[in-house]
Amino acid sequence: MKIAGGGPVIPNFGQGSSCVTGNHAFCWGWVREHWSDTLGPALAQHVELTAIAVGIGFAIAFPLALLAHRFHKLEHPFSIVAALLYTIPSLALFQLLVPITGLGLTTVEVALTSYTLVILLPNIVTGLRSVPPDVIEAAQGMGLTRLQVLTRVELPLAVPAIVGGLRIAVVSTVAIGTIAGIEVTTKGLGYPIFNALQDPTPFKTEIYSAGALAVALALAADALLVGLRRLLVPWARRAA
Amino acid sequence: MIRKHTRRAARAAFAISFGVAIIIGLYAAAFTRPAHASTKAGPTIILGTKNFPEEYILGELYKQALTGAGFTVSYKENIGSTEIMTSALQSGKINMYPEYTGVIVQDVFGHTNSPKTASATYQLAKKLEAGKGYSLLKPTPFYDTDVLAVTNATAKKYGLKSIGDLKKVGPFKLGGLPECKTRNTCFVGYTKQYGLSNASFLPLAGISAYAALDAGKVLAADVFSTDPPLGKNSKYTVLKDPKHITGFQNVAPIVKTSLLKQLSPSFTTTVNAVSKDLTLDAIVAMNKAVEVDKQNPAKVAAAFLKANHLK
Amino acid sequence: MLADIASLHTFVDAFRFIGDNPGFLLTKAWQQVELSGAALGIAALVAMPLGVLLGHYHRLSTFAIGASIVGRGLPSLVLIAAFLTLLGIGFVNNMVALAVLGTGPILTNAYDAVDGCDRDTVEAARGMGMTGLQVLGKVELPLAIPLLFTGIRVAAVTIVATAPIAAIAGGGGLGDVIVNQASYRLAGVLGASFCVMALSAIVFLALAALQSAVTPRGLRRTSVVRDLTT
Repeated sequence: MKIAGGGPVIPNFGQGSSCVTGNHAFCWGWVREHWSDTLGPALAQHVELTAIAVGIGFAIAFPLALLAHRFHKLEHPFSIVAALLYTIPSLALFQLLVPITGLGLTTVEVALTSYTLVILLPNIVTGLRSVPPDVIEAAQGMGLTRLQVLTRVELPLAVPAIVGGLRIAVVSTVAIGTIAGIEVTTKGLGYPIFNALQDPTPFKTEIYSAGALAVALALAADALLVGLRRLLVPWARRAA
Repeated sequence: MIRKHTRRAARAAFAISFGVAIIIGLYAAAFTRPAHASTKAGPTIILGTKNFPEEYILGELYKQALTGAGFTVSYKENIGSTEIMTSALQSGKINMYPEYTGVIVQDVFGHTNSPKTASATYQLAKKLEAGKGYSLLKPTPFYDTDVLAVTNATAKKYGLKSIGDLKKVGPFKLGGLPECKTRNTCFVGYTKQYGLSNASFLPLAGISAYAALDAGKVLAADVFSTDPPLGKNSKYTVLKDPKHITGFQNVAPIVKTSLLKQLSPSFTTTVNAVSKDLTLDAIVAMNKAVEVDKQNPAKVAAAFLKANHLK
Repeated sequence: MLADIASLHTFVDAFRFIGDNPGFLLTKAWQQVELSGAALGIAALVAMPLGVLLGHYHRLSTFAIGASIVGRGLPSLVLIAAFLTLLGIGFVNNMVALAVLGTGPILTNAYDAVDGCDRDTVEAARGMGMTGLQVLGKVELPLAIPLLFTGIRVAAVTIVATAPIAAIAGGGGLGDVIVNQASYRLAGVLGASFCVMALSAIVFLALAALQSAVTPRGLRRTSVVRDLTT
């Protein structure tokens, strides 16, 4: 404890271990110590970020896909906009949204949702399209209405493609979500990584641990969705 | 034809996912509502910080002290450089942030030369900001100026003691945060006032200036006087600035005057009480805790506030 | 309302920025091309032979297919930050990071392309007395070109679009402007982004043209456009 004459009390903030100050390859002590104040919250925020983006993206993409499936003319403009959006550097998109949607999470979510839309829409449409015409004919022959054909035949058969699209969307969103941490938000796993990068000597432990968490999150989400697909469509074995 | 149980499963799956999507959508809508609404405790203070650790510490200090005193604070850390902070302030995205007095005078308002004393700088900054509708609360005892640093090896090699000595080096790269390029307290000042026509600027948007110096990417770099690497047994030499172009840089919180009028007087007393305790020793210790010992800025700020009964 | 006017203003200013700084932007663009090209080259050098061979011998399918899933799941920021700590600041660390990003699509597509060759055709070739390698060179590879090239194209566009992030690790390129809103304003950021998009489009079209040139006449199809998202 240091008390300057008449000045403020400067408490002991806790000396970093020699591993940390020496910037060794990986300091488990730091990870354990800072799980609750840095890594844990960042992971939770990242999960939230991803879930919202994919959830809203799916909610928008699904009806749009049904529309595009019904009215083939819509598919072309949709896919052009989609392809265009994907080539906008994500970092730029985040910055450009700030004047419109502010400095909070809305900006991040709008951008991330747009990217998931771009991925999900074509995948759902392709899934619906991939149903063999004979099957549809057979169903219609059996007297099913158009809506019934959709709900009882096309959608169930499209599940593998849709889940495939969700897998890609989730994994991409986790990745792009980290980029948001560079300029526009302090939430998510990108922020600790970028902060660590800016230290006088880039802090390896924080980069590796936050990075590992991001990769693990993506892989875990992917595995979960594969499990979901196996549950729903046990006859489709081959990975998409 | 699809068997009954798989049909049911598929229907259930879509119902569930739709439901989940809608729930997430509603949650998101509630979650991302902007915090502009006034609450019982009065209007919301939207406190922002610039994009480096010292500002995170300052932001956390003010935020926690104010929250402890019952104010509603919406905290936006790491927004960007002064230029971006200024536009965020003007567009109403934030209504308070900690700024450096000399930066206000020389960079925000473009004065080429700084006043002769720290208090003159503060008074001028206060006057200039008042004209735009912003109030400056009391300044901190500590100051954190830009300084130009080279590695010890470089200083020895060329015999560098003051900034002007760089003239004899030949063409070289000077690194710094991107906004340094156009600032009187930085690259513009260094080159114009010391005649360094041999310097070219390298913006450092990700890696730190010290990393760039170590890697030999730049010969000299603009850094800050309270940085931990410049402490005891430093590997770097700070070049003297006899013309004092980097000015006086105490920190003073900028607050939108209209917000100030809506808040109770305890707002000003709380903030000033925190600023009063921010001596050079204090801020250097906190910088070291965050940047060298890799502690969390919020925790460091909390410890400091608690030890000094400011929370 | 004000925000909309502001965005329109920025949009117009972006083009003005491009018009005012052609030389600067071209230099930056070229830097990015160099970095991306080097990364793509390494990725192709490593992933293509591996994918082709695995596909020819029909081995390790899970690994080959999983490669692109893992590749997509590796956040670019993580790769760039990690390689900065391992390989220093500058060109090499970013080149390696981007190369890792590009190997996934190339490997998986190379495997798929060769593995998926029509089995009857391959059988027929063997029946004619060709050795394994001859089958690979004269039958499987030519048939594989469309899918192979798709993989390269996806990798190339991914690398070019991700390269701006490398600016935070000393990689240079148009990213220097995109991460530097403080100096170049939003107009500059948007202008540089347009350049990146244009660059992606040029790379895409150039590789599509190359693919057409290299594809044996019998295999040429009218549409070479493949979804980047599949």
